[in-house]
Amino acid sequence: MELSITGTNAITYPVMHVWDWRVAIYLFLGGLSGGLMTMSAINYLRPGRKGPMQSVCCWQIPVMAPILLSIGLFFLWLDLERKLHGYLFYMTFKPLSPMSWGAWIVLVIYPLMILYALAALPDEVKARIKNGFVKNVADAVAPHLSKLAKLNVVFGVLLSIYTGILLSTFVARPLWNSAILPLLFLASGMSTGAAVMIIIAKNKEVKLFFTKLDIWLIFFELLVLALMFYGHYTADAAHRAAIMPFFNSSHDTFPYFLSIITIGILLPLAIVLKFLEVTGKHTEEVSGFGLFLMNTSAIFVLIGGAIIRFALVYAGQLSGYGYNMM
Amino acid sequence: MPRYAMVIDQSRCIGCMACVVACKRENDVPPENYRTRVLEIVQGTYPTLTTEMRSELCNHCDNAPCVSICPTGASHHEEDGTVQIDRKKCVGCKACITSCPYNVRYINEEHGYADKCSFCQHRLREGKKPACVATCVGGSRIFGDLDDPESEVSKILRRVGHRVLKKEVGTGPNIYYINQYPKRA
Ligand code: SF4
Ligand code: SF4
Repeated sequence: MELSITGTNAITYPVMHVWDWRVAIYLFLGGLSGGLMTMSAINYLRPGRKGPMQSVCCWQIPVMAPILLSIGLFFLWLDLERKLHGYLFYMTFKPLSPMSWGAWIVLVIYPLMILYALAALPDEVKARIKNGFVKNVADAVAPHLSKLAKLNVVFGVLLSIYTGILLSTFVARPLWNSAILPLLFLASGMSTGAAVMIIIAKNKEVKLFFTKLDIWLIFFELLVLALMFYGHYTADAAHRAAIMPFFNSSHDTFPYFLSIITIGILLPLAIVLKFLEVTGKHTEEVSGFGLFLMNTSAIFVLIGGAIIRFALVYAGQLSGYGYNMM
Repeated sequence: MPRYAMVIDQSRCIGCMACVVACKRENDVPPENYRTRVLEIVQGTYPTLTTEMRSELCNHCDNAPCVSICPTGASHHEEDGTVQIDRKKCVGCKACITSCPYNVRYINEEHGYADKCSFCQHRLREGKKPACVATCVGGSRIFGDLDDPESEVSKILRRVGHRVLKKEVGTGPNIYYINQYPKRA
C-alpha cells in the first residue's frame, strides 16, 4: 500500500487567493482591442483597398477598440482588493514589473486609439458630432489617418502581446512561464480582432479579406498552442505537470479537459467554414448563407479566444513547483 | 546591517503548532489566514512510513519575484535582507500572491492589502526574536544573522548539511532546513 499524505493539518494549508474571471475577461478584451487596432488599421493600409480612406467601411471598429479596452480595465479594477488605491499604479514606475508597464502602456495606447478613431470618421458621421472641440480635433487629425493607422498596427500588436508577457514572467507558475505564451495571446488577439472585423464590416470585399487572413491567423494560433503544450511536455516535471489538467478528464480537472476539446473543435471548424466561404462562388452581394458561414466561424473564433484566456488564467494558478504540483 | 535568516531543525519539531498560534496572536492574523504553517507529510509503503514535519513561512527570498512584480513598490526589500510590505502603497492587485512559489501570501480581507510573515519586524526592532522562534518548545526554529559569523544560524549552516525549499525556482530563499536530532552544532 503506497501512502502519500501531504499537509494533513489541512486547516493551515493555504488556499491561494486567486485571480479569477475578472482577470481573464481583462486579458481577453485587452487582446481583442489590440487585435481591433491592428486589423482595422491593416484594412486602411492594405494594398488593393478600393476608394478613399475614410469611406472604406467599419469606422465603428476604431471606436470600439478603446471602449472594449476600458471595459477590460474596468474588470481589472473590479479585481483590485483596494479599488480606491488604484491611483498608486501611477505614483511610481517599476521597470522590472510587467504589472507596472501595463498601467503605463495604456496611457500611450489610449491617445493613439482615440486620435485614430477620430481621424477615421467619415464625413457623414462627423457631421453628426455636436461637440465643437471633438469635431475640430477630428478635422485636424483626419489628414494623418495613414500615419495613425501605421502606429495603431504596431501598438495593437504590443497591446495584444503584453497580456501574454504579463503572465509569462511568473516563474512560480510553470504553465505561464514560457516565452511562447505571449505569441499565443498575440495570435489569439489578432484572430479575434479579425473575427470582429468580419462581423461588423458591411462591405463584402472587406469581409472576404479578413476571412482569408483569419484562416492564417487561426492556423498560427493552433500551431503555437500545440508548440506550447509540446514545449511544456518536454520541459521539467513542473512544466509537464502544469499541462496535465488539460489531458485528464477526472472530476477536478474536467473543465480544463473540456476547454481543450472545445478549442480543438471550434477553431479547426472555423477554418473549414472560412475555407468553404472563400473558395465558394461569389456574387456582388454576400448571400444569406455566406453571411451565416462567416459570422458563425467568427463567433467560434471569439469563443475560442475567450476559452483560451479563462483556461490559462485558472490552470496557471494550479501549477507550481514542489508539493503543490498537480 | 544584519542579514536575517531562519534555520528549521525538522527533527526537533513535535507538531504542536505553538508557532502557528503565537504568530496569529502576535500579528493579528485573521482567522482564515496563516503566515506560517506546519505540514505533516506522511509517505512510504506500509509499514515503513515516514513522517516529515515541515514548518513553512515566507522565505524572505534574495531574488524575490513578489518584489519584482509589485507595480507600486509596496513589496520591497529592507536593508536587513527581509522582504516587507508597505501597506499604504498596496493596491491589492494580488500579483505578488500569484508570483510567490511558496504560497505564503494572502489578502487581508478586512483591509484589502497583501500580507505575509514579516519575521516579526516590530519585535526585531526591540531586539527580540520572531514570536514563532521565541515560542517553539522543541527548539526547532532558530533565528539569526547570517552576516555575523558567530551567530547560531551561521555556525549551523557552516557545519551541517542543509536544504532550502524549491531551490530550482531560483528565488534564493532564506529559510534553511536541517535534520540533526539530537545534536546540531
Ligand atoms: S517566499 Fe514568497 S512572499 Fe516570501 S519573499 Fe519569497 S517570493 Fe516573496
Ligand atoms: S497586492 Fe500589493 S504588495 Fe502585492 S503586488 Fe499588488 S500592490 Fe504589491
